[in-house]
Amino acid sequence: MLQPKRMKYRKQMRGRMKGQASRGVEVAFGEYGLQALEPGWITARQIEAARRAIVRHVRRRGKYWIRIFPDKPVTAKPAETRMGKGKGAVDHYVAVVKPGRIMFELSGVSEEMAREAMRLASHKLPIQCHFVVREGLATE
Amino acid sequence: MSQQREQVELVAQPRVVLGKQVKQLRREGWTPGVMYGHGFEPVHLQFETRQLQHILDQVGGSQLIAIQVQEQGKPEMALVRDVQRDPIRQTVLHVDFYRVKMTERLTTEIPLEMVGESPLTERREGILLIGISSVEVECLPGDLVDAIEVDLADLVEIDQAIYVHDLAIPASIDVLTDPDEMIVRIAPLEEEEVLEELEEEVLMPAIEEVEIITEADSEERFSEEG
Repeated sequence: MLQPKRMKYRKQMRGRMKGQASRGVEVAFGEYGLQALEPGWITARQIEAARRAIVRHVRRRGKYWIRIFPDKPVTAKPAETRMGKGKGAVDHYVAVVKPGRIMFELSGVSEEMAREAMRLASHKLPIQCHFVVREGLATE
Repeated sequence: MSQQREQVELVAQPRVVLGKQVKQLRREGWTPGVMYGHGFEPVHLQFETRQLQHILDQVGGSQLIAIQVQEQGKPEMALVRDVQRDPIRQTVLHVDFYRVKMTERLTTEIPLEMVGESPLTERREGILLIGISSVEVECLPGDLVDAIEVDLADLVEIDQAIYVHDLAIPASIDVLTDPDEMIVRIAPLEEEEVLEELEEEVLMPAIEEVEIITEADSEERFSEEG
């Protein structure tokens, strides 16, 4: 599962997810992509589950790319703890995603297969997504 | 190599609405744009969204378009230089046209057209990876072609690739893209281990494994001072 190797600060504030993504909005490596339509936090576990759904469907035929990385620490307080006594310990890591962001890319498979793989992957994610095809890819 | 198709015409109107007010134009079915070129003053234009969308679907960045600005005489020859789209709806927000002088060399991008199929991908023994989908060129506007063909049937071995220097490009066109840039490559199929890994349980890496740089720094500083 993905997580940073080293960080400058252990804990972060939650932040806001206003507007649309401006970077990572085009399919750059593969032929097909899965684009976010809503803002949200995607946990490392969800990324791994979506990745597995893609690999399980395309088997060895395709190559995939993960375009998001969970680099934001999320803290949680232990169960049955009273409020106060400071911020909880880091529980997991998430990737902050804004609408328009391409999260996964796929290449080397038919469009039909890519569509199905991305559909399966999108069911592992907490946000609405849609399937996109690389722009300017002229095929016979 | 695809030769230039018949000339495409686009009607435009001079635009007086500038800045954020162009939102209103978009609501009324117009798309804002600009036309500029070497030795020409930039002109703000607006296009009928439906007609513009239809033309952009037909032409690439290398096909000349005759832009007829209303209440002006001769149409101007121009190339699509940049198209800004809404990342989600893919609607055109703004378009840049580059007005050309037919006697002056220009720099533009020509799309690559993949033709045929590699025998390896046909037999499902390899994965086709696509690197770039257009090449940057310099030439006279009259020498431009719609697309450059890339024959995938030439890829018969695993790890074989087609690079920019392998393309058959007319001598009148100078390629600016790095000749060693990869266009397509046949990659081997993923190892069986990838599938075996699917059966393994997802293990959460320990949060403590993440090294915190500032804490290490402050500890070092503390020990140095001490």
